[in-house]
Amino acid sequence: MASLPAPLRGVFPVLLALLLLGALQVVVGQLPFFVYLSSVVGVNVILAVSLNIVNGMTGQFSIGHAGFMAVGAYVGGKLALEMKDLAISGIPHGVSDQLQLLASLAVGGAAAGVAGFLVGLPSLRLRGDYLAIVTLGFGEMIRVIVSNLEVFGRALGLSGIPQTSSFMMIWMCVFVVVLVARRIQDSAHGRSLLAIREDEVAAEAMGVDTTAYKVRAFVISSFFAGVAGALFAHFVPIINPGSFTFVKSIEVVTMVVAGGLGSISGSIVAAVVLTLLPEVLRSLFLQVGGLEGGAALAQKVDQIRMPVYGILLVILMLSRPQGVFGSRELWDAFPRWWGRGRRAEE
Amino acid sequence: MSTSLLQAQGVAIHFGGLKALSGFELDIHQGDLKGLIGPNGAGKTTAFNVLTGVYLPTAGTVRVAGEVVNGLKPHQINRLGLARTFQNIRLFKTLTALDNVRVACLADTYPFFSRARIEAARRRSSKRSGAAAAMAALNNYVDWWRAMLLTPGFQREERALTVKADALLDVMGLLPRRSEEARNLPYGEQRRLEIARALATGPRVLLLDEPAAGMNTREKADLMVLIRELRTRFNLGILVIEHDMKLVMGICEEITVLDYGETIARGNPERVRTDPKVIEAYLGDSYLAAQGMSVPGGSP
Ligand SMILES: Nc1ncnc2c1ncn2[C@@H]1O[C@H](COP(=O)(O)OP(=O)(O)O)[C@@H](O)[C@H]1O
Ligand SMILES: [Mg+2]
Repeated sequence: MASLPAPLRGVFPVLLALLLLGALQVVVGQLPFFVYLSSVVGVNVILAVSLNIVNGMTGQFSIGHAGFMAVGAYVGGKLALEMKDLAISGIPHGVSDQLQLLASLAVGGAAAGVAGFLVGLPSLRLRGDYLAIVTLGFGEMIRVIVSNLEVFGRALGLSGIPQTSSFMMIWMCVFVVVLVARRIQDSAHGRSLLAIREDEVAAEAMGVDTTAYKVRAFVISSFFAGVAGALFAHFVPIINPGSFTFVKSIEVVTMVVAGGLGSISGSIVAAVVLTLLPEVLRSLFLQVGGLEGGAALAQKVDQIRMPVYGILLVILMLSRPQGVFGSRELWDAFPRWWGRGRRAEE
Repeated sequence: MSTSLLQAQGVAIHFGGLKALSGFELDIHQGDLKGLIGPNGAGKTTAFNVLTGVYLPTAGTVRVAGEVVNGLKPHQINRLGLARTFQNIRLFKTLTALDNVRVACLADTYPFFSRARIEAARRRSSKRSGAAAAMAALNNYVDWWRAMLLTPGFQREERALTVKADALLDVMGLLPRRSEEARNLPYGEQRRLEIARALATGPRVLLLDEPAAGMNTREKADLMVLIRELRTRFNLGILVIEHDMKLVMGICEEITVLDYGETIARGNPERVRTDPKVIEAYLGDSYLAAQGMSVPGGSP
């Protein structure tokens, strides 16, 4: 890819991904369970990779990602409900649906980005632990606010949001967030973020406006959490405050830490594994346990998920605190094959 | 007479009841090479921290390139042309030597407004500082997009940054180590990498906090020669903190001596060395003896 003319290098991967995912869409479109499962996985990958920009690359500790996801889900979902009866004329129905979905993703993401700015600006001036507390509080606050607002359906949530999410759209978003994270990492901006993680005092002394950079990282991260939320709203029958609790935030933090703080591929792998594991266990129990016992066991999977995450985190912190991947990347192993690896560029 | 690049007037800082620094005066011009010495805990590092904006002085003013910088953030003061190294090395440990320097090499070409233009707007009047901030913000916003879209301009700048960083690594003799993570470099090289990183910010005044600490005699001698070279090569004014009195005496034209935050002597090396107060301060610290240096009035 290094031989590509310079102006094309930026957009080429996106076009390629569009084509590939478009083709895949035709193939998997007929497999509803696969599409559902891959949607859940995709949303979690977006959440983990975006949180990694703040927690991994910038070294701040945010534990309120579900709050930003909620903002995106509710704002995007509400917009979709408003647009429900509209259709863009002159183009096929499916395309019009996808364009409307895109609009609600953009608006949901933007709303979450604004929320990120408002939360980040005051709290990122502070150090480490304070951010954790503020983001935790923010996540809970959002939940309380939506459960009391009539427009957002209070505790019942929003239902009837058009289920227009598609395999292609979800994985396109995954692709974009990964691409953005990689390009941040390989730019002067990303190096400034890494410098802040390594030594904030030194970064500041070298002319890096650390507060501004932290806020920017936080806004980008919140934006994608919002996109993930809006996507989520378009494939689950109902969204309610219960979908965006503290538990969800911790789930994402676990993925980022398990994959290795700062490693994009680590976040991806951890998100995929930790999402599929309970699903696989559930269907396994249903298979072996017969209908009666199996269903009970499958239900238990949901109950034991959090304790398992907790234990996993403790074991990881004790045995491999840098996460499975450390801060290395999968694609550094074959730099030529996947674009230009970070090390190969130098 | 050239204009003063770094000036401190009556600077004091108190930590609770402790007067870590008081009545501190300093004046650095282009081409100066001055020294700051004093026993452990005298307030030398604290002086650097006040000058670079880490601490807000309790009293007095600090000027960089004629501008009062009290209350500015360290990164803003750095942008005015003041760079430093740290006594307790603070490199970006897991970044490569090259990336350590590249972080500090902020691009000089910006998508819309040049740095010079923003600076000019900011200096003209305080009313324009809002406009300057807006220009900087717009620059930055566009710059992120250029990085996301890998525009040709962005790619050109990344290459230019790398070339600039490599040149600085070369000056400091670190080019062969460019892909090494900073934490894996030996001590002496880490110290030199800190200097390379500080130079990358394009300073007019360089503050070096014990740059030779932990080096062997040979490395120290080489470093002192290098520091002299840097001054002419980059048109710098340099202020060095150094524990090893022999070294400072050898290269500095003017030396300020601190003791318990007070300036007890200032002048050329000869005068400082024979100053009774200095001798007392160092003897009280039984420092001279430990350094194996000649005692009061001894021949140079
Ligand atoms: N942030 C701080 N809070 C309280 N005391 C400080 C602080 N920084 C420095 N000091 C004190 O100021 C004095 C001068 O320290 P320092 O400037 O590091 O000395 P040195 O001349 O060895 O570099 C010491 O007594 C130190 O304990
Ligand atoms: Mg010191």
